[in-house]
This record gives sequence, structure tokens and C-alpha cells, in this order.
Amino acid sequence: MAILGSSQDARADELPRPSAKAPRHRRTKVVDALSAWALVAPALVLFIVFIVIPTASGIGLSFYTWHFLDDPVFSGLTNFRTLVADPETWQSLGVTLKFVVLGVVPTVVLGFLLAVLTNARLRGVGALRVLYFVPAVVSVAVSAVLWSFIYDGRRGPIGALMRSVGLSSIDFLSTTTWALPALVVMMIWLALPVVILLYLAGLQRISPDIYDAAALDGAGSWRILWSITWPSVRGTTLVVSILQLITFVSGSLDIALILTNGDPLGSTRALGLYAYLVAFRNTDAGYASALSVLQLVVIVAVVVIGRFASKKVDR
Amino acid sequence: MRLGRLHLGRYTAITMVGLAIAFPLIYLLSGSLMSFQDISQYPPRLLPSAPLWSNYTTAFQYLTVRTIANTFLFVLAVLVIQLAICLPGAFALAKIKFRGSGLVFALFLVPLFMPTNLILIPTYVVSLKLGLIGNFGGLVLPVAGQASFGVLIFRQFFLSLPDGLVEAARIDGANWFQAFFQVGLPLAKPIIASYSVITFLTGWNLYIWPLVAGGDSPKTRVLTVALAPLANNQYSNLSPTIGFAAAVISMVPVLVVFVLFQKWFTRGVLGTGLE
Repeated sequence: MAILGSSQDARADELPRPSAKAPRHRRTKVVDALSAWALVAPALVLFIVFIVIPTASGIGLSFYTWHFLDDPVFSGLTNFRTLVADPETWQSLGVTLKFVVLGVVPTVVLGFLLAVLTNARLRGVGALRVLYFVPAVVSVAVSAVLWSFIYDGRRGPIGALMRSVGLSSIDFLSTTTWALPALVVMMIWLALPVVILLYLAGLQRISPDIYDAAALDGAGSWRILWSITWPSVRGTTLVVSILQLITFVSGSLDIALILTNGDPLGSTRALGLYAYLVAFRNTDAGYASALSVLQLVVIVAVVVIGRFASKKVDR
Repeated sequence: MRLGRLHLGRYTAITMVGLAIAFPLIYLLSGSLMSFQDISQYPPRLLPSAPLWSNYTTAFQYLTVRTIANTFLFVLAVLVIQLAICLPGAFALAKIKFRGSGLVFALFLVPLFMPTNLILIPTYVVSLKLGLIGNFGGLVLPVAGQASFGVLIFRQFFLSLPDGLVEAARIDGANWFQAFFQVGLPLAKPIIASYSVITFLTGWNLYIWPLVAGGDSPKTRVLTVALAPLANNQYSNLSPTIGFAAAVISMVPVLVVFVLFQKWFTRGVLGTGLE
């Protein structure tokens, strides 16, 4: 009430002097702009210093030869020539794509199915859903401590089970075949809660009428799932896929650095980790920057190809 | 009758799958109280033969109070700075018409779909030049500078407020700062809660940046950095069950936050989906 009353007062105050309106208006505009910039400035400054400048200088550095302590020397495309000729780059590129292919699709599909499973309006389901969200609180470091023991062939539970049925146990993280899939399983486990949650929100927006109509038409549950539910959450699928693409390209660095250091024989060393090792072990900042640029290109390419492919499927 | 059985089947499925997903964590909790003999025994035990609480004292001594305090300080500093910069910025971008606002907002959006690990090396370089490597400022500021998500969801929220609310305050004689503090901020409490829960969880679990910027020095070491060497348990002389206990200790604050504020966590995650 008080606000309403005073706003009327202000308007009454302005009425007798319409001529004063134009310059005042201009002044308000200046005040508006100044206030806005003052409010945005703190965020903008930190953002520019720690995000924009690093992004720009990361791309810039890829054209320099630099080892942190000496002076950067402009070297044109040298780093990129090294990159093309470096077999470890190609191996790391392959590992990155393996992380994406083995990780993203199962995470999205599994997350969707689990969301459908738990999307029941039954009493107590809300409490049970907490079980599904539990991995969300687990850090990469904690899960590394846990899963490195689970995967430990000599002492871990899987090894013990395998020996008990007469198989020889496998030390999963030290074989070129199993190390990457083992890391991916752990990453899927970590990523599921967010995916389930996003799909649950998507599912709850679907109108129940569609299901009723489909049921009347005699469609079975799988048919409904595939022809109605899945297409209805297409928007969520797109968002989730991009988020997971970033998670698997980016997260493979943390996990592999802790658990395998990229080994055995580079089989878990994705581009991110390779760039990290080149920068901080070989102190070759220029070449590492070129590798990061390649990583960016890969992400953009996968997003573009993914969008293109999903549009084709839609048609 | 048929309906009842259907529900029972659904309940059973939801419970079994849920337990399977939560199982590794249950195993971690149980294993943290086992002796080395217990955990490496066949058939694998689910519960310790006798709870070995000394695992926790050993783990606590390994982690040190300093590391735990560092982690709290790190996460809270990031959170406070992010709230202090993102809220007013988002308010201005949502409610004030000014030249350049579109451009500024677009700039903030760019990194949303770019993994932060991509700029890890140049961020290190910038922090090194600013003399921030090896001290607490270097740990906090680059993470606090990741303002994109905060600006985006707070702006979204302020856009949803009716313009009349802010205009009324303005006509009442409030300047934009007062309008922000007296009208915008109090209404933003729910979204601040969600954002804080998410930021707390992600900050607490960050690994690479604290490792690169702070490293293993006791002054800046955080829990994830202290835990990571325990993962390669073949090379550590500590029993894996002590590693489990250390992992559980490091999770207590996030578990508390998660249990107390689950509603806000859920809403916050939905915010990341750009609802």
C-alpha cells in the first residue's frame, strides 16, 4: 500500500513540469548505465581475469614456444606441426573418443531408464529416490579411493569372487583392455544422479493424457516408452548429452590422473591428461596449449556432429 | 489385486536398483570399520567382524585438522565471493536497460559449454603471473571467477520477478543499489539457497585446480588432494580400510549438507539443466 501511494505522489509531482522530462530522462539513462556497470563490474572483472584472458592466452600460447620460466618465443605453427606428427597425440585423441563413446550414451540411456523407473507416484518412492542421488555427493577423490580397491585384483572383492569361481583375478586398472572401461564405469556411476534428476523433471512435464490415449489404443509398455516417453523428453536428452560430453571429456583428466596416470601404456590418457602432463611434467606450455586447442576442436566437432545426427534421426 | 501386485513389483525394482547404485558407498562405510584381514577375506564380508574405530583416528591424523579447515575456508570463500559478484551483476543484467548488457551477458555464457579443464594451463599461467600460485588467493580466485552459471541462473530468477516491484521501489526514490538490496536480494533467498548447496558440493569435491594451485603444501592442501594418494593403495603403506575411513571423514560435511538441503540440491541441479 505504501509503495502504491508514494508512486502516485511521484507521478503527481512530475505532471506540472512536462518540459523538464526530456533532459531528466537522459540523465536517468546515464545513471542507469553507470549503476548497471557498477553492479556488473565485480563479476565482470574476475570473469575477464580468470576466464576470458586465460581462454584467449591459451589459444595465443599455442603459437609460442615457452617453458614457463624462459621468455615465450613466437614459433608460428610449430606446435601444431609437432602435434600432427606426434603418435601420442593421436593415441590420446582416440582415448578421448573412447571415453565419450563408452561413457555418454550409456549414461544418457541408463539415466533415462532409471528416471522412468523411479517416476512413480507411489508413497515412499520419494524417499527411495535418495538412494539414486547418493553418488552426487561423492568426489572423484573419494570414489578413486573406493573403486581402486574394488578393482584391485589381489585384495579387492571382484578379484576374490573371480578366484572363487576358478578364474584368475584381473587387476583391472593395470591392463590395457580393462583400465579404460573400469574408469568409465566409475564415471557413469558418478554422473547418474544429475542425469536421473534432469530426466525426472522432463518426465513430469509430459501430460498424462497422452499415456491414457496410447493405453486406449492398446500400446504396450515398451511401445509407449519408445514412441511416447523418449520423444517427449528430447529437449532434456539434448541438454543431458552435452553436459555429459563435457563431463566425460573433462572428467577423464581428474580420474585418470589419480588412478592410472594415463597408464598402462597410455591407454587411459585422454587429450586433457596428455596436455596436463606435457605442461606440468615436461613444462612445455606452448605445446600443451596446442593440445588444449585440439581438445576444444574435438568437443565442438562432437557437438556439431551429434546435433546433425539427431536432426537426421528426427526426420 | 492385480494393481497391488504391480505396485509391489515396482517397489521391489526401485528398491533393488537403488540399493545397487548406493551399494559402493555402503561398502565404503562398512569397510571403513574393518581390519585389513576383514576386507581382504573370502567370501567378501559385508560387515566388519568387530568395528575398528581406530581406523578413524589414524585417518584423521593423516588428513590433519589443517586440511579440513583449509577445505572449509576454500569452499566458503568461493561461495561468498560468487554470491557477492554474481547476484548484483545478474540483477543489473535482468532489470536495468543499458547499452552493452546483451554483449556482457553473451560473454558470460560462452564458457558454460566449455570444460574448465580446457583452460587449466593458461589459468595457471595467469595466476602465476599474478603471484597467486602456492597461496590461498590462487586457490580461491580463479574458481570464484567461474561466474557463468551463477550469473545465468540469478539473471533468470530476476527476470521472473515482475518489473513493477523494482519500478515501485525506484519511483519511491530508491537508487539501483537500494533496489537490489531491498527488493531483489530478499526475494532471491530460495535461489541463493539452491546455488549455495550446488556450489558447496562442487567446491568441496574439486581436485585438479587445488592440486595445481596449492599442491601438497600444508598451508593450502584440501581434502581431495590429501585423499588422492590413498587411491593407489598398492603403493601406500596404509591399509585400504584407513583410506576408506579418510574418505568417509572427507564426506561428512557434504553428506550433512545433502541430507539437510536435499530439496535445494534438487532445484539447483534442475537449474543446471537450463530449465
